[in-house]
Amino acid sequence: MKRGRAVVGGAVGALLGLAVLTPVPAPDAAAVAPARAAVAGGAYRETRSLDRTMVETTGERTVGSYEMTVSADHTTNLRGRERIRISWQGAPPSGGRASNPFGEQGLAQEYPVVILQCRGTDDPDLPVDEQLSPRTCWTSSYYQRSQVLASPSAALWTVDRYAAEPDVERISGLEGVADEECATVRDSASFYSHLTPFVAASGEVFPACDRDTMPPEAAVGAAFPAAEVAAYSDTDGAGSVDFEVRSAVENESLGCSHEVACSIVVVPIAGLSCAAPGDPVTTLDRNCRQYGEFAWGSSNFAGLGIDQAVGPALWWSESNWRHRFSIPITFGLPTDACDVLDPRPPVGFAGSELMAQAALQWAPAYCLNKKRFKFQLNQMPDQAGWNLMEKGDAPAAFVSGRKDRVGEDPVGYAPTAVTGFAIGYVADKPDNAGEVSRLRLNPRLLAKLLTQSYPGSALGKGHPGLGDNPLSMLTDPEFIKLNPGLSTRDTEAAATLLSLSNSSDQIEQLTAYIAADADATAFVAGEADPWGMTVNPAYEGLTLPLAEWPLLDTYTPETQDPCRQANPSVYLTQLAAPVTTLRKISDALIDSWPNVQTRCDGDPTTVSGWKIGRIDRQAYGARFMLGLVSLGDAERYGLRSASLATAKGTYVAPTSRSLADAVSISTQDEDDEYGPFQLDQGDVARARSAYPGTQVVYTAARTHGMDADEAATVASFIRIAVSEGQHVGRDNGDLPEGYLPILRTGSTAKLWAAAQRVADAIEAQELPAVPEEEDDAPDDARPPADTGPTPPSAPAVPEEDEPAGADEPRADKPGKRAKPEVTVVATEAASSPTAFAMLPTLLVLGLVAASASLVTRLVGMRRGGRR
Amino acid sequence: MTATATPPAHRERKPRPPRPEPTAGNIVASTSLTVLSVLCLWLLVHLLLLGTVSHDREQALLHRELRTQLAGATAPVGPVVPAGDPLALLRIPAIGLEEVVVEGTAAGDLFAGPGHRRNTVLPGQAGISLVYGRSVTYGAPFRRLASLTPGDLVQLTTAQGRISLRVLGVRRDGDPLPQPAAAGATRLTLVTAAGAGRFARLTPGSALYVDAEAAEGFPAPGGVPAVVPPSEEAMASGTEALPLLTLWLTLLIGVVAAALLALRRWSAGLVWVVAIAPVLALAWLATDTAMRLLPNLI
Repeated sequence: MKRGRAVVGGAVGALLGLAVLTPVPAPDAAAVAPARAAVAGGAYRETRSLDRTMVETTGERTVGSYEMTVSADHTTNLRGRERIRISWQGAPPSGGRASNPFGEQGLAQEYPVVILQCRGTDDPDLPVDEQLSPRTCWTSSYYQRSQVLASPSAALWTVDRYAAEPDVERISGLEGVADEECATVRDSASFYSHLTPFVAASGEVFPACDRDTMPPEAAVGAAFPAAEVAAYSDTDGAGSVDFEVRSAVENESLGCSHEVACSIVVVPIAGLSCAAPGDPVTTLDRNCRQYGEFAWGSSNFAGLGIDQAVGPALWWSESNWRHRFSIPITFGLPTDACDVLDPRPPVGFAGSELMAQAALQWAPAYCLNKKRFKFQLNQMPDQAGWNLMEKGDAPAAFVSGRKDRVGEDPVGYAPTAVTGFAIGYVADKPDNAGEVSRLRLNPRLLAKLLTQSYPGSALGKGHPGLGDNPLSMLTDPEFIKLNPGLSTRDTEAAATLLSLSNSSDQIEQLTAYIAADADATAFVAGEADPWGMTVNPAYEGLTLPLAEWPLLDTYTPETQDPCRQANPSVYLTQLAAPVTTLRKISDALIDSWPNVQTRCDGDPTTVSGWKIGRIDRQAYGARFMLGLVSLGDAERYGLRSASLATAKGTYVAPTSRSLADAVSISTQDEDDEYGPFQLDQGDVARARSAYPGTQVVYTAARTHGMDADEAATVASFIRIAVSEGQHVGRDNGDLPEGYLPILRTGSTAKLWAAAQRVADAIEAQELPAVPEEEDDAPDDARPPADTGPTPPSAPAVPEEDEPAGADEPRADKPGKRAKPEVTVVATEAASSPTAFAMLPTLLVLGLVAASASLVTRLVGMRRGGRR
Repeated sequence: MTATATPPAHRERKPRPPRPEPTAGNIVASTSLTVLSVLCLWLLVHLLLLGTVSHDREQALLHRELRTQLAGATAPVGPVVPAGDPLALLRIPAIGLEEVVVEGTAAGDLFAGPGHRRNTVLPGQAGISLVYGRSVTYGAPFRRLASLTPGDLVQLTTAQGRISLRVLGVRRDGDPLPQPAAAGATRLTLVTAAGAGRFARLTPGSALYVDAEAAEGFPAPGGVPAVVPPSEEAMASGTEALPLLTLWLTLLIGVVAAALLALRRWSAGLVWVVAIAPVLALAWLATDTAMRLLPNLI
């Protein structure tokens, strides 16, 4: 970046010279007085003063002065889409609040706090390409960064008193832009333009003068919604936002990764500081000296025009940019780091998705250490992972509950992580009053959602038995009683809980939680709730708990809608639309994009001309959706979790405390020291403070029958996982948030002891002492099925009734456990009388017939001769 | 049928009549016996001599095809290969054997050379592979298998590379099977028919196995068929060829009848010249087809 910066004041010339020499000059010492407090754990906190000072003919006039403090809760080892809570005090109060502050939708606000993700850090000692500048800050549309063809009276940036000299020109910001690009900007004779080109990580410069000259990730309807936000400060000047960071995986042009440093830049908009007015005072000068159309705290849902001098579009202008807070952030290793950095074959542990966030941080601690093995989590339904482990296709499985054994080998359950599931939600208070910070749910409400007992909309009203039910949870009196003050506008998304379609231990425990509640069980059995709501007849009498939630409804509404007539489908199933992984549910919640499949679009490529798809993302301010998420995902992505009822009037949110309480009431069977710990939902209700969604993830592996090396690998994993793997943090090998560490002392001590016990048993690979008869019975059962064993001394008598060629090899390879001695099997007989006799018979017959023929002929001739 | 006693020759030497006419019964008996004798001897000649010719020719063609495929890296690696395709070159220097192994162990497949049993992994791959070969007829590639001794070299050239195996031993019905191969090892079991006693070469009534093993085989793809038809098992025969045999015999009889009719009209020399080729060709085809009804290992 070559743009110098002039500082108006006594030392303009000297500072300008400095600015030309040093690409990014040190910020003006008078305006910027950072007071950074060292905060542990990667958190950030900084205070600085902001001011808006006009240059008038009479001298300088300060029209606004603020002392602003910005803090961020964590900034290190971030992963793509992780959300950081950024909060502040002392900012100018905002006005004209937009319904959606993200991206271009947030432009029509006054005095917002613009938060952007930029490549580079704010350190003048660094090389130029590692420093941040407005050109490395991401926006998802060009008019968030460039002012194109503005009328002369709207070109406010040209009268910014801090603006560098090139920027006051009629057309500016074209440095580095190829001459043939942005012809409309260059050719205009009277309009003013300022471009803030985007410099991609590759070095490519996107001029950002129209939508075609923006990076590809900024396309309309891009895969990810806009993350940059023009956030709103309340009348006290405080505010907060969950800012979603993007790694190079999500946004390659921005290109933030563990190797490329980035920053979150918070630019509070205090208004432009205007230069001395002309003589006479122009419209432009008057426009610059504006203080806002909207009252503090007011809303601008209609998107009416604002005073641009206090709007977010000029965030790059030096008056605003010099007030920036740059929060340096670092990214963790990408998810594929181990595959790239470690060529060894991975050891795949199969199973529970609850481990996903832990495995993300754990894996580099294994693969980057050559003394260890290459750990890999292969996510799959718990039962599938278990089956692989039992068959020997996976060394170990991650499960969170007891599974039925199908093989003959004993299996040990080593507690590895304490986590669980949550009912994640995203919900806004009515009238843009912010997000709902506490949502309370009870088992009956969950049962209503899962049994599809809310009709969702008028389409579902015709469903037999649902006509009198509230359309969605938002109008259910039971829900309103628990969560007063929410919007009561029904939506289809509020009629369902986005859940898993396949079998999982989470669904099993969730349904067990419902089944343990008398009211919920009675509701499922067909009894109406106190407000008269009844269960969907398709689910009436369903027996809980279940590991896989069935979709039983069959009602297809009859409407005049041509799209629905062309695509008849079960309406309530379209609302539920369960997915296969918890991560998909997390993504839906991050985007507040329900997976409700009821949107109808014209589609000329199909025969019917209509297609059905997913509804739109919910509008900011009117969001409400629920989903089943893992606690690890909820913490990573900053999702909110509902509090679940345990006893009457007691609602427990997932916290370390409530997880620990649940661990302390879980019990292991007395006669099974390698078994899992059971969390009885009845005990949860009695204990009151335990979180019902607590789940212990176990590393399940066979304690007999495994390969010795593999067994040692699994045992070492368990020991590492319950020692250094339980250190809570954000570095490689640490336990992320959302997990309760298993420690040697405290409520998790029994889990720690069990893990050590099972690790020893897995490493020893000894048969348990109890079933000791027939020690090698499994081996004897393995000789070829089609030939019986015979003693080595006597050759076996071939069994005649066996088919020929019965010595054919067994199709299955010899098991790893087969001992290569003792089996003596006789070769099976394969004989054929035809083969034995054919050649001699042919030979003898041929010769005899030939001689007989000769004799016969001779005899006949002789007789004929005598006659 | 036994030879009838020949009456003693008469001493008197009368001048013989120029063309003594045998009786009708004699003609029938003599002709039948001649036909029977020709048939038996033709079968023998075909099995032992003509079959060898056809086997050698097939081997030459297969060898060329396999060479091309190996050079072009298109040789099959399994698990399912069309029957009759060349798979591997099998060399056993101890008995001077060099044969191209084809896919399939039906009697007809083994005309061309040793055949690989289709429900086992391909020769050289980890696991157990069975290769069947004839011991007497059609070139008799495996006729000297019984003379192999433990430690003899068995060399395979396959799509996956060259591999040398060592013979573990020869076994017959009732002998103990060798121990299961270790994981990753390849075992090749050569199977043929063998006789016993004085006329062992002529009476190959039971099966003979030679096991050879190498410690590390080539990786075997999954999906090998679980079973093969009964006609592809050792010493088995099938009746699949019967319809075809009927067709060939009908054609043969038709051509012979046509030749006989033609003899009334045209000269014998002309008819011989015209008819001999189709008669021989049909006889060859009919015999080959008939041989498919016989046990596959002889």
